[in-house]
This record gives sequence, structure tokens and C-alpha cells, in this order.
Amino acid sequence: MVFLSRAQVLTAFGALALALYVLDLVRRRRLSEEFSVLWVLATVVIAALGFSTSLLTKVTHALGILYEGSTVFACGLAFALAMLLHLSTKLSRLTQEKDGLTREIAFLRLELEELRGGRRADAGEDA
Amino acid sequence: MNGRDVLVIVPAHDEEESLPPTLAAVRERAPWADVLVVDDGSRDATSAVARACGVPVLRHPVNLGVGGALQTGFRYAIERGYAIGVQLDADGQHDPADLAALVAPVQEGRCDVSIGSRYVARSDYRAPLSRRLGMMLFSGVVQLALGQTITDTTSGYRAYSRAVMDHCQHDFPKDFPDAPLLIALARRGFRLSEVPVRMRAREAGRSFYTLGKKLYYPYKNLLASLMALLRRPA
Repeated sequence: MVFLSRAQVLTAFGALALALYVLDLVRRRRLSEEFSVLWVLATVVIAALGFSTSLLTKVTHALGILYEGSTVFACGLAFALAMLLHLSTKLSRLTQEKDGLTREIAFLRLELEELRGGRRADAGEDA
Repeated sequence: MNGRDVLVIVPAHDEEESLPPTLAAVRERAPWADVLVVDDGSRDATSAVARACGVPVLRHPVNLGVGGALQTGFRYAIERGYAIGVQLDADGQHDPADLAALVAPVQEGRCDVSIGSRYVARSDYRAPLSRRLGMMLFSGVVQLALGQTITDTTSGYRAYSRAVMDHCQHDFPKDFPDAPLLIALARRGFRLSEVPVRMRAREAGRSFYTLGKKLYYPYKNLLASLMALLRRPA
């Protein structure tokens, strides 16, 4: 295996280690399968570029990039942006769901108070 | 006016001081209306104070914002069969003496949303410059979008028909229910009109609009207005 630079070695093993760590998080149920998809994809793609110099140079030339390192950076940045957009949309949905639940709690609490009030009034009439 | 017809919805966030006089004023000036307080995650005794006034309270365990509180009030109005919902601020700046005039156009079927405006006539209300600029901006936005003049797009003193409240169950701007809401409703075919009202200075408590929100407000409302225009009326 011929590496172009020490940075490439670092990138390759770093990405591999991150992939393993992400999978371990999933195994320990600290990260849901859904959220692991982008992480696994990102680390696998970057590890592949890191370990296969021929793939890295091919992709770099195909994209018209002058320096191989930039390809890896571009990949990482693309995945980071995708991840952030995914999280933002997720957060917006969660906020909507939170609002709905908050409203539901408010209604349940009022109805509970009304029921209790009604029962107390009934008990008062009986006495 | 029928007692079960009109529900006055009072969104309140940390308003324990201004709420009792506001509720008393509503009771005095508009005894024909029912009142609901939506406590939007207050950290003070807002809920307890409202209950002590004999008013039903819907309490959000966390803060959702004015729009979220209003939407909760709308759902209550729909579930309990009210024909009209009026949004009235807890801080005392809306005069309950204007309630009858505000409700009348909706009740008589002349419009679906009746907006209490500081600027239609007879007002000595003076807003700070930044607020006035904002109002001019959003008046312009609404004018452009709808071809209808709404002088007071930021007024939080409005009456809504049951059909509007029903529609808002599914689609409602969460934090600032102003220009984008008016545009969305008008695009949906609901008729808006303005009624002159007086507004007073706040009794106590803080405004919903903190500095961060003051900066966020124009951005959010311009974007939301644009989106309300781009969306197909469902």
C-alpha cells in the first residue's frame, strides 16, 4: 500500500477508528441506527479514500481537484453539512412534537381539575 | 350577546401582577364573554392568580411562545363550542371596553378576522421608532401580498371566527402570529378587517419581545410572510 503523505495515513486510520467507535455506540444503544447512517457513510467513504491511493487520485482527477488532500476535506465538509441539515430538520420536528405534547398536558391537567372539582361538588351535595 | 358565543383567550407568561386587573376589567366591561387564561410556562404564580379569579387555566409546562399559547386557546374554543375567539394581552394594554366593537364584525359575518388597530383612528398611542419602522415594513409587506391595507399588523388584539380557529389547529406560526398569519389566512379566503381601538401602556410584567426576539422578529416574519405567499392555500 502506497500512501501519498503522513496526513493520508492519519486520515485513513482516523476514519477507520471513528467508524468503529460509531458502530460501538450503536451496539451500546448510545446512538440510534437512524443517526448512525450518515456517520457510517462518512467514515467509510473517507477511510476508503485514505486507504486506496489509486481511488483517491482517480476521484481527485475526475473532480478536477489539484491536490488529493482537498478531496478528503471536501468529502468531510459535505458530510458535515449533510449531518447539520439532518439535525436541524430533526430538531424542528422534535420542537413541533414537543409543542403538541405540551398542549396535550395542559388540556389533560385542566380536565383532571374539572373532574376533581366536579367530584368534590358531588361529595358536598351528598353530605 | 350569547354567553357561550365568545371566548376571550388571554395568553400569559409571568403576568401574576397584571393579570387580576386585566381579568377584572374584562369581567366588568364584557360580562357576556367567557375567559380562558393560557399560562405559557410561567415561573411565577400566574396560574394560581388566574384560578383565584375563577377563570379556567390551561398551563403549558414549558414556554411555547405567544402563537403556541394562542393555538392552545383556539383548540379549547373549538372543543367547547365557541363561535368566536378573542385574543387579549394579559398585560392590560388592550382595553376590554373595545371588546364588543371588535367582536361585532365577526359576529355579524362581515369578516373572519377582526383586528384591533391603534392607527385606524382616535389613538394617542406612540410606539418607539424601531417598532414604528417595523410596523410600516410589515404593513407594506401585507399590502404587497394582499393588496389590502392593514394599518396595525402587529396588533395582538384580534377576534377570530370559529372557521379560522379550526383552520389554525393545523397550521399556525408558533412564535409571532402577525403578518405571516394574516397573509396565510387571507390567502385561504378568510376576510380581514380592522376596528379602531385604544391601547394603553403595560400594567406590569415584561413584554414577550426581548432584545434577541426584536432582532429575530423581522427576519422570521419576512421569511414566513414570503413562505405564506409561496405555499398553496391548502
